[in-house]
Amino acid sequence: MKMANSGKKGDWMNRREIDHCLLCNAPLTIRMDWKRLFVNRFPQAICQECEGKFERYRHEGNEEVDSLYYYNEAMQDYLHRYKFMRDVLLAKVFAGEIHRHLKNRKELIVPIPMHPEKWKERTFSHVDELLRQARIPFVHVLEKTTTEAQAGKSREERMKTPQLFVLREDAQVEGKDLLLVDDIYTTGTTIRHATQVLMEGGAKSVKAFTLIRAKGGQEAIKASPLMF
Amino acid sequence: MKYILRRNRESKRYKGIIAEPEIRDFFLGKIWSREHAPFSKEKLDCYISRSFFKIKPAISIKPSSPSLFGKRYFCNRCHNDNQREFVEFDCARCGKACVYCRHCINMGRMSCCTELLVWNGPSGIFPKRHVFDWNGSFTVLQQQAAEELRESIGRKRNHLLHAVCGAGKTEILFPAVFHCLRKGWRICIATPRTDVVLELFPRFQKAFPNTIMHAYYGDAPEQKGLAQLVIATTHQLYRFEKAFDVVIVDEADAFPYTYDRSLQKAVWKARKEGAPVAFVTATPTSELLTKVKKERWGCSFIPRRYHGHPLPVPRFEPLWFYDRQIDKGKLPKKLMHWTKRRLGREEPFFIFFPAIPLMEKAIPLFQEIHPDICGVHAKDPERKEKVMKLRNGEIPGLLTTTILERGVTIKNVQVAVVGAESKIFTSGALIQISGRAGRHADFPNGDIVFFHHGISVEMDAARNEILRLNKEGFRT
Repeated sequence: MKMANSGKKGDWMNRREIDHCLLCNAPLTIRMDWKRLFVNRFPQAICQECEGKFERYRHEGNEEVDSLYYYNEAMQDYLHRYKFMRDVLLAKVFAGEIHRHLKNRKELIVPIPMHPEKWKERTFSHVDELLRQARIPFVHVLEKTTTEAQAGKSREERMKTPQLFVLREDAQVEGKDLLLVDDIYTTGTTIRHATQVLMEGGAKSVKAFTLIRAKGGQEAIKASPLMF
Repeated sequence: MKYILRRNRESKRYKGIIAEPEIRDFFLGKIWSREHAPFSKEKLDCYISRSFFKIKPAISIKPSSPSLFGKRYFCNRCHNDNQREFVEFDCARCGKACVYCRHCINMGRMSCCTELLVWNGPSGIFPKRHVFDWNGSFTVLQQQAAEELRESIGRKRNHLLHAVCGAGKTEILFPAVFHCLRKGWRICIATPRTDVVLELFPRFQKAFPNTIMHAYYGDAPEQKGLAQLVIATTHQLYRFEKAFDVVIVDEADAFPYTYDRSLQKAVWKARKEGAPVAFVTATPTSELLTKVKKERWGCSFIPRRYHGHPLPVPRFEPLWFYDRQIDKGKLPKKLMHWTKRRLGREEPFFIFFPAIPLMEKAIPLFQEIHPDICGVHAKDPERKEKVMKLRNGEIPGLLTTTILERGVTIKNVQVAVVGAESKIFTSGALIQISGRAGRHADFPNGDIVFFHHGISVEMDAARNEILRLNKEGFRT
């Protein structure tokens, strides 16, 4: 995915591509220093003001699932624009952060898949794109069996959902350590189902990482108008 | 006589269907994506096969001259051609490399596999019988302008109505609109701000009670029927193509219209071939004025308010280092005295700030003088309520950003601008702000103060223009 007329192959090479904040369209002042010049492959995609509106997640040591941000108003808006309005370019917003967070993981990265019909409807896989833009390699190991979405369900309904996934025929998970990746963790039902299938498939261990963590409670679930 | 047997005399046999009025009403003049159309797939497919619709891909790809620049994309919905706003990606639906337009994405994503439907069926007939119910009366100047506007539009000539704030611009539109409705024409009144749409709609409904009219803005509810009069935000014009016999652009100097080229193009795109466009504004841009001269548009100029009194002229007051003082939690003396005088005389007031952060820091300082003073900005959900409260006298004054620079009418309001030298206060903005004062016949004078840290060119330009308008308006 690249901006039209970038001219060069490999959009991450061309730092001049994004000159306006992807969220609020304010002109971006490039924060430059020697480190960024040589090391940083991920140019800023959003301005400081927009960045300040997101809330970092504090990982408590005993949590099974790691996340980067809380699901606050700014994040709700981001997800709405990215998933619902299908603004694929917004996958670049957190590319740098996701890359830094996952680059040293030794596990095999497994994204939570979409049902093929939903994938065609949305025209792209939101989780795959986040990983792709973050230059994190991944492998598809699971398949989604239902088009039913978790969004729109109450907490109880979500937790009562029957198994959503099956192992793919070509999946090789025996004895491997895996890291599941999804966009948002609310009740954990999705992750739990995926973990079960993977463990039954012979995986040695399954951990999880999501970009967003919903703050606990019914309110958080009711407040999220995620459509699919 | 030889009879030549002809097979397939398709044209002579009536095989068609009659287009349902509901579908025709919805699509007439509009350009809508197939997937978002509120009708069943089967119905749409049937109509498409009968050529009631023309299909256009949402994004056109044009080859560009030197192949260095690759392809040139063009969005058929919003007419954006800025290549930086197009994003290429691999699409799962069409299975190949696809492009979408980011410019109009918040109205629904247009990609190259999105299909746009343009109505190609029978057009509706608009009624010519309308009721005009308005009891007001015009001043001489208003009458003249209304006549000139009607004349221009009747002759399909573009027109500029340059009328100062409070001149009664909306009423001047009534005769012209009535004239067009009676001709069976379809009219659109476009304005950059949703607030103005919501303000104009009931006024037009009252003036033309029999006419079917729709209001279009973001999150507007669905309205049925074939609207002959459409009141919409300029963004909504993206949805129309060759739809209107006349387009009137109100507040043509407001944000975002002035900054967004494609909105300006949308106005021209929405009208039918040869249809006239009328611009109504208190502060025409120099670009517009040049066009008026070059292309010989009709032009009406009203430098006086409906009540006949001159515009109050702003005065300048230095307020050195006001931002530092407010930062330190101290309200500058002159500002405090001005506010106290307003409170003492029970005059409602607006205090304009250049930016939200500065205003937020100032609010608690003002609340020490009077606890009910509050602040308002564009994203404030209680904005309308607060303006109401000021109007009712429930609160003594409002701190605000430029969101209230236009459209608001409060009797006897006094106006102060803090930081009038800031870049955001262009001369147009300052003129509009000054236009908030003195609108009511009983209170034609209001105090307008520009508190500044150095007089800017824009401040001078605004003051000079107001003086000039007063001179023009009172020449005998």
